[in-house]
Amino acid sequence: MIIGIKDAIKLISITIIACCAVFVCAIFLNYGIDIAAQKGEITTAAGAAMYSAIVSTGKVTAAVSGGCLAMTSAVMLLFYVKNYIDTHGKELGILKALGYSNINIAKHFWIFGSSVFAGCFLGYFSAFFYLPTFYELQNADRLFPEIKPHFHPILAFLLIFLPAMIFAVLAVIYAYLRLKSPVLDLLKERREYKTKLTKRESPDMPFLQDLAKITVRSRKSLVFFIAFSAFCFSAMVQMSASMIDLASKEMAVMMLAIGLILAFATLLLSLSSVVKGSAKTIAMMRVFGYKHSDCSKAVLGCYRPFSYIGFVIGTVYQYALLKIMVTVVFADVENVPEYNFDFTACAITLGLFILAYEIAMYGYSKRIKKLPIKSVMLE
Amino acid sequence: MIKISDITKSYGTGGSKNQVLKGISLNIGDGDFTVILGASGSGKSTFLNVVSGLERPDGGSVVYDGCDITKLHDSELTEFRKDNIGFIFQQYYLLPNMTVEKNVRMGADLAENRDYREIIAAVGLHDKSQKFPGELSGGEQQRVAVARALAKKPKVLFLDEPTGALDEQTGRQVLDYISKLHNEFGFTVVMVTHNQNIAEMANTVVKMNSGKIAGIDKNQLQKTAYEIGW
Ligand SMILES: Nc1ncnc2c1ncn2[C@@H]1O[C@H](COP(=O)(O)OP(=O)(O)OP(=O)(O)O)[C@@H](O)[C@H]1O
Ligand SMILES: [Mg+2]
Repeated sequence: MIIGIKDAIKLISITIIACCAVFVCAIFLNYGIDIAAQKGEITTAAGAAMYSAIVSTGKVTAAVSGGCLAMTSAVMLLFYVKNYIDTHGKELGILKALGYSNINIAKHFWIFGSSVFAGCFLGYFSAFFYLPTFYELQNADRLFPEIKPHFHPILAFLLIFLPAMIFAVLAVIYAYLRLKSPVLDLLKERREYKTKLTKRESPDMPFLQDLAKITVRSRKSLVFFIAFSAFCFSAMVQMSASMIDLASKEMAVMMLAIGLILAFATLLLSLSSVVKGSAKTIAMMRVFGYKHSDCSKAVLGCYRPFSYIGFVIGTVYQYALLKIMVTVVFADVENVPEYNFDFTACAITLGLFILAYEIAMYGYSKRIKKLPIKSVMLE
Repeated sequence: MIKISDITKSYGTGGSKNQVLKGISLNIGDGDFTVILGASGSGKSTFLNVVSGLERPDGGSVVYDGCDITKLHDSELTEFRKDNIGFIFQQYYLLPNMTVEKNVRMGADLAENRDYREIIAAVGLHDKSQKFPGELSGGEQQRVAVARALAKKPKVLFLDEPTGALDEQTGRQVLDYISKLHNEFGFTVVMVTHNQNIAEMANTVVKMNSGKIAGIDKNQLQKTAYEIGW
């Protein structure tokens, strides 16, 4: 066995994201199906307007969060598979050299799908336990007849087994494509930067600046994740602040929890793979006498601007989304509070974000300091 | 002058404790070419790492011109390596995603050395300076490592089996560059090897045997890389 369940466990952030996505989708979809069955019994005009608003909110929420999160998990999975092949090039190269076919090696990568399965499973069942409370909340004004949550096998299939299968197949196909590179490239852990980095615009750049640039360039997906993590933080925290007025405290807490989990899961995954991926370089720099702060600044600091960009996009996104929800989706519903940009919430979120982000950076720079110089030499 | 006194070092604890260095004392003069010989597992690399400040000994002292590096804090030790030490390893350890020139620059920037291109030329790689390590042969990669180490103008150059992964021809070539540059710049060389013949290039040969010094020989006549056997 090449890839063990241990490698799949490292994909905990995908598990968490899948769990959040399925949780949100399961709640809204289950509710949508159950309420649709009761549609005929809604008689009041207010009830009908509320009904269509709820159905569209459900669709939007399920599509936006489910879609976004599924995309993120897919990107993360592919990133992880690529990273796995890059860092295990020697082992995989030797297997290939011994005569294992690509598909023979690639098929073992299905195990990465199990982390998606675990997440979906967890998400679905925690959603199921939350459903009674959610139904109660949605119908607090008694506009609809009372409904009880029902179990829908089709949802269980669509939200647990289907994603797990798709992700397992995705991992195998992607691994297969990547393994097609020549044996020697794998053995020597040679990557594509050759072609990409041959444009040398300013050959006179100091080493540390160059290192920062190359670190970012050779791991573009990490730029995305780090920006995404800031995006989640800013969008979800600010949105949850508005939710207290617009919806309910429970919604706000749920959103806050999902946002924070997502933001930190992605941030920590990205930062640890930055540190892991640069371990050899850092060790060599330390051997030569580069200060530990210079090393962290070069490999970690270069991601800072992207996180702030992510934060700004997240702020704009949540404002636009809520504005649309309030003015379009809930247009016919009475008593919907007015929505305006919340500067206080934005400032507080930014403050928290800077604090959290810098603490994480500090933690990882400590980890860089602790990297044993000798470990690279024992390889 | 490096004064090494009574270095001890062990790995593991309790029953699995492995005493690797058992009290080593040695003086290395400025500009010396010292070769450390010994069987595999005799503690040569560990000794080199301790003397160069990559690892801390359990006991003893390593004094460079009056400064005991075993007493320095981590940050001071880093600073010390920056100003004094160059390294060359058997496995090269070049940065794979940087060109030859950038790899050499990693050393050069530490000493604010603007003449790194001359050093690349000095190891015969000026026409390969825009290549990546993966595009070079083993011998060429080791010459990049030589250039990188020398670009930071070290006072002492430590080499751990620099020719261990090379064939005779390229091995001689790398050693030749090292000894030429040694003669030109006059830095101190401490080289670990288990090739007896290479020892004939040194003026001091230290023989190690299971964590102890078994003998020190002085060579009156130093041979060049092309005069020694292989
Ligand atoms: N980090 C470590 N942890 C535990 N034991 C170690 C460690 N590093 C070295 N050793 C042990 O110390 C002993 C000496 O190792 P060292 O690498 O110094 O030998 P060497 O003389 O350089 O051998 P070679 O010629 O094979 O490179 C060996 O028995 C080795 O197992
Ligand atoms: Mg050794």
